[in-house]
Amino acid sequence: MPERETIQAWLETAAAQIRWRRARPVLTRELAHHLEDQRDAFAAEGRENAEALAVEEMGDPVSVGAELDRIHRPDPQWGPLALSLILAAAGAVLRVHLTAGWTYDRADPARAALAVVLGSVALLAGYLLDFSALGRRPGALYLGTLAVCLAMTAHCPRIAGVSYAARYAALWLPVVYACWACARRRGGWSGLALTAAGIIPPAMVCLLIPYTFALLALLLTAALLLFSAARHDWFGLGRRKTACAAAAFAAAAAAPMAAVFLRGRRLAAALHPELDPLGGGYTALTIRQALSSARWLGEGDWTGAASPDPYPLVPNCASDAFLTTLICKLGWLPFLAVVLTFALLAAWLLRRRARHQSQLGRAVVLAATVVLCLQALCSAAWSLGFTLLGASFPLVVGNWSTVMNLGLIGLALSVFREERIARDAPCSVLPRWRVRISIQRVS
Amino acid sequence: MDLDRSLVSGSMALLVLKLLEERDLYGYEMMETLRARSDDTFHLKAGTLYPLLHGLEEKGLVTAYEREAAAGKPRRYYHLTDQGRCALTEKEASWQRYARAMHRVLKGGACCAGA
Repeated sequence: MPERETIQAWLETAAAQIRWRRARPVLTRELAHHLEDQRDAFAAEGRENAEALAVEEMGDPVSVGAELDRIHRPDPQWGPLALSLILAAAGAVLRVHLTAGWTYDRADPARAALAVVLGSVALLAGYLLDFSALGRRPGALYLGTLAVCLAMTAHCPRIAGVSYAARYAALWLPVVYACWACARRRGGWSGLALTAAGIIPPAMVCLLIPYTFALLALLLTAALLLFSAARHDWFGLGRRKTACAAAAFAAAAAAPMAAVFLRGRRLAAALHPELDPLGGGYTALTIRQALSSARWLGEGDWTGAASPDPYPLVPNCASDAFLTTLICKLGWLPFLAVVLTFALLAAWLLRRRARHQSQLGRAVVLAATVVLCLQALCSAAWSLGFTLLGASFPLVVGNWSTVMNLGLIGLALSVFREERIARDAPCSVLPRWRVRISIQRVS
Repeated sequence: MDLDRSLVSGSMALLVLKLLEERDLYGYEMMETLRARSDDTFHLKAGTLYPLLHGLEEKGLVTAYEREAAAGKPRRYYHLTDQGRCALTEKEASWQRYARAMHRVLKGGACCAGA
């Protein structure tokens, strides 16, 4: 048979017309299945050269490939990319500008600039990454990330018993867990059990670091993923059974979190700091006191002292409570502008996620958005005097956390960039058990 | 008798959407169904069908998902969306208008009656 009449040659010619290399295997797989069906049909009719006939039926590979090339192009996400970079750059400028006169915990301009540069690299790396690669080897990714977090916990220097380097790495645990859970689809009861059990090792890592925020983000991601799994019947058990399992998981996950928040009266101190003004409620009280003198625009009288250094009046006012500094030194309007800009970005991510087809893509975006939004929520609440859980406001506060968060946003954007070729592995609609009937000739 | 291909090509989207109105189908199944229903009149090249399907998917008129076909092989099924259903209604209505007008002209009807 001449080479040009083979299925392989036809597919190669068609693929060569598609400029987006990642789209080639995805698009030609469907065409290959069609060619095989056509060949088998011709062969069943008893026709000779079934493969050559199937290829002839298909038409000109060059025009088919060119047409597919016209339709399938990466969907650039310039708007959110630019918005993320602007927010990160604005955050760096604010950190340097607002802490310029401080004698303690002043933001280093060089480090802030380096964070924006490294963050831009992380953003682009995530954006250009083939996100579907995360779903191809979820086990290796899962174990590898746990190993990295454990190694950082064990070997990186600790400050007051906390491994800060491991904390930054732990921000990726929800995304890695989402890939792990997505790979358990179609696994039936064992898939569901592995998804639920898969949360235990990363949760243990969070406790070892220790990092309560990452633990909360992880458990929240897992609960939301399980409810999403119920909606799409990931495990083939039926929606109701999976929803019941998700509800049971959420209840079980709420227990350790409640224990964490109730221990040491953290919740009571956040809600009623006046009950313990010199203990657990001190930070919340000082923040609320500082905010009481803030203006809509312009600097308020927040230190109450001649020194420009706000310490120790407002603890952590360059990190967890940086937004308090922003409100007090620039006013409520700049604070609202920062928060609303981030909210716009997060809302856009969630809206695009709702339209996305691939389950892996949806899971990855959900995990990344949970981490980002939870940080924003905790940080904003902390800065307003509800000191339940400290976190850096995404893209605005912190150097390494900005790098990590930009990487997460880049990964989420890569999902939307490759939306046109996003495909999930096929779902079986056949029963798990089949009866085979064979008829044998008895001689 | 072979049908003039240009008559068919403009209506391919309508035919494909109409097939998907009943149930989800994959490409090869769609071609075979079309061929059978039209008594082999609409013999569509697969090379035309797939770019058309992908174009409809891009416009949001159909969505696609992969699942195993009856033979156990993974296939990409197409599903008509609500937007696609509306487009189908519009296309059907405009096709009916076109066909009635064509029929009247070919029959020497309304426009020639007064002459």
